[in-house]
Amino acid sequence: MRALLLKIEPIIWLLFGQGILIGTMLLTGWVLVVGLLIPMGMVDASALSWDRAHGLATSWLFGVIPVGQLLLAALLVLPLWKGAHHVRSLLIDFGGAERDGAVGSLLYGVAAVGSVLAILAVVGL
Amino acid sequence: MVEKTIIITRFDPDRDEKPRKQEYTVPCEDSWKVLDAVNFIKDEIDATVSHRWSCRMAVCGSCGMMVNGEPKLTCKTALSDYDDRVDIEPLANFPIVRDLVVELDGFMHKFESVKPWIIRAKEQAEDKASLHPEKDTFGQSTEELGNFKQFSMCINCMLCYSACPVVANEPDFLGPAAIALGHRYNLDSRDEGAEERHDIFRGEGTVFSCSYANECSEVCPKNVDPAAAINQAKFGTVIDWAKGLVLPRGGTK
Repeated sequence: MRALLLKIEPIIWLLFGQGILIGTMLLTGWVLVVGLLIPMGMVDASALSWDRAHGLATSWLFGVIPVGQLLLAALLVLPLWKGAHHVRSLLIDFGGAERDGAVGSLLYGVAAVGSVLAILAVVGL
Repeated sequence: MVEKTIIITRFDPDRDEKPRKQEYTVPCEDSWKVLDAVNFIKDEIDATVSHRWSCRMAVCGSCGMMVNGEPKLTCKTALSDYDDRVDIEPLANFPIVRDLVVELDGFMHKFESVKPWIIRAKEQAEDKASLHPEKDTFGQSTEELGNFKQFSMCINCMLCYSACPVVANEPDFLGPAAIALGHRYNLDSRDEGAEERHDIFRGEGTVFSCSYANECSEVCPKNVDPAAAINQAKFGTVIDWAKGLVLPRGGTK
């Protein structure tokens, strides 16, 4: 298991790095808007109505690039890998190096399943 | 002048089974660095205390010790930053030889393994064409120097190895300073050895073992920022991997 994990290191790290980027930039804004600004009445809640959100998620760029779906998929998928990789590294730092093969595979497995489900959901919009 | 209690870790491999602590009361001058207090103990109180030091100006990298649990270059660390009791231990993550002296062999081996010298594809004698015509040296612009200069400031003090949680768990991990040094030569415009160094610090089970705790850069007394070097090396590996998918043999040959 660990041998496989070593093989795919660069791919995982790429997903992880992009997950950090997306996670810190977009999710922070999301939490700000949905968690603070809307409950405090500073942003009109109808801004996130189903029609508007669905329209944004299914918008196309130049009629050929499904930019809404691509962004939504990235927003859902990449932080999953970021989280899995972060938790794996944390567990190793706290002394779990021996179990890393099994634990790491499990974490990435969860991220992979989550990614497939997220992509299926986004494609089905 | 203020009196402080300096607690030194003592270990004599012939007599002690494990390290023990010994306390010394030291009259400290306001201007002293931590190293001055250890030198005072050695010179005036207990000549059996062993520690390494040399230049006293943060150049030689010999006097790294744990000060109140943090890796510090003791000649650069003001004693006045600490309270009345200062706990001085040998650098963490290294085997102890005696008292505050640690074993360097493993570190030196890692350091050497990244081939920290300029590698040219051809012998220098055949390489005259790329020499600067007047000075008989390899030319390098300020920008090219700037690419790696920061990473060449390392003084091999090993504080980053003491701070690194990955080194603590996996003693075989190449570690911050060695990876930063290999990366420094890869970035050098005169060097052509990146491919030769690939398996050593960018291959499987090497640079990606880093868990980006960033502690190495936090403790570095020369602001080398090994964590940045490691992340740049990781990115280079990802680019090479992506090239390998698209181009035959990674586009290297």
